Amino acid sequence: MKIKKRLSVFIILLFFTKLYAQEPNLVKDQAWYIPDYVKMQFAGNIGVVSVGAGYQLFDKVLYSELLYGYVPESVSKAAKIHLITIKNTFPIFRKEIGKNLTITPIAGLTTTIDIGTTTFTTLPSKYPADYYIPTAFHFTLFGGVMIHKDFRKPKIIKGVDFYVELGTVETYLWYAITSKEVRLIDIFSTSFGVNFYF
Amino acid sequence: MKFLKIITLFGLVLTFTNCNPIFEYSVYEADVKTAHKNTTAKNIKLLENTKLESQDFKFAFITDVHYFYNNLRRVIEDINKNKAILFVIFGGDIADQALLKEYEIFSDIMQNLNKPYFTVIGNHDYNSNGSIIYKEMFGDYNYSFEFNNNKFVLFDDIIWESNKDPDFDWLSLELSDHAEFNQVFAFAHIPVDVSNDLPADMKETYRSIMIDNNVSLSTHGHTHSYFYEAGKVDYLIVPALKEPTYGVIHVKDDLFNIEIIEL
Repeated sequence: MKIKKRLSVFIILLFFTKLYAQEPNLVKDQAWYIPDYVKMQFAGNIGVVSVGAGYQLFDKVLYSELLYGYVPESVSKAAKIHLITIKNTFPIFRKEIGKNLTITPIAGLTTTIDIGTTTFTTLPSKYPADYYIPTAFHFTLFGGVMIHKDFRKPKIIKGVDFYVELGTVETYLWYAITSKEVRLIDIFSTSFGVNFYF
Repeated sequence: MKFLKIITLFGLVLTFTNCNPIFEYSVYEADVKTAHKNTTAKNIKLLENTKLESQDFKFAFITDVHYFYNNLRRVIEDINKNKAILFVIFGGDIADQALLKEYEIFSDIMQNLNKPYFTVIGNHDYNSNGSIIYKEMFGDYNYSFEFNNNKFVLFDDIIWESNKDPDFDWLSLELSDHAEFNQVFAFAHIPVDVSNDLPADMKETYRSIMIDNNVSLSTHGHTHSYFYEAGKVDYLIVPALKEPTYGVIHVKDDLFNIEIIEL
């Protein structure tokens, strides 16, 4: 799949520009487009594993990331699933719990688009108008906790975040709210991940 | 190390307070739990245990749940109370977006039904990975069963979402032994009346197969509203579960009666 290849090239490039950009000067601010961190997440309805890079925006009020997630056939029990996700995480407050160590309750949402062949972003022409809403988009909502560790003598990695979240999908949440038959416990699942700051 | 302790503790708390399943990877997963598999075969077995002396019984037809789960539960409870109803046929649109979660919600609600049930696949059920989930959870798209010397034929007539034509050869063959039965009943999600989703030639083929094989009644969903047409073959459309509504078909010898229940 072309789009997949292009995306992996993009992500790899992000990694390299990051490393390369660090070389010449460690003091001066980076170019605006260079991400602040790279990340990897497990689960959370955005792939078994998702990888990407992100920015800390508005004085660290928002963490915004672009991710690629993948579900192999052995897990999906169908075709491989490829997902592109924009993830936005809001740190609610920061509490120092040790030397260079902070704990942060987090909440946020993701927008995910499936780039496979079984879904569509615009209604195929064979259907009458408004027959279906697009099936390729989903949103997830999550809350959790993030721990940030700064390294005192950074060589390559300046710091690391570790986070655990409990999340659900917009459709599931809607069903749980509107129906007595769907319990909240049935719709929430766990995910965790790491961010590496360069 | 305090740092590690906190992480481990938090992870453990999350994992154990949160049940089935702990991790979810995508809404499009098609990994059907073993307990949810082969529903059709299980129910055919259940129905074999239902023996009847007379040619006088009822079955219910419910359809198009999409996400009207409260109404599905209400209808199920009402059917449970009616001892004369021996089994239920679900007319398709089990799911709205054809997500595994939706199929699971449906299956879990249907666990409350105290009689066998059989499903026909709907157009919504085919979307995304829905056709794979349907096959795993229920079984074949086209199938039939016999009860008390009557034949019930459940037919997949979805064309756009499945990218295939209905298997009319299968339908003709399956109905060819109609003379051996008291009555024959056919079920398909998309009706040949009201809706124009099926092209005219397919509608014509379906109708002629019904007439040629002496089918008593062809029952459908899809349009979400009631419709009845009497003729050589009768056609019935039962409204969606948007309202707590269902149909009861009373079979008596060579005749049948229809009742629409509105709760």
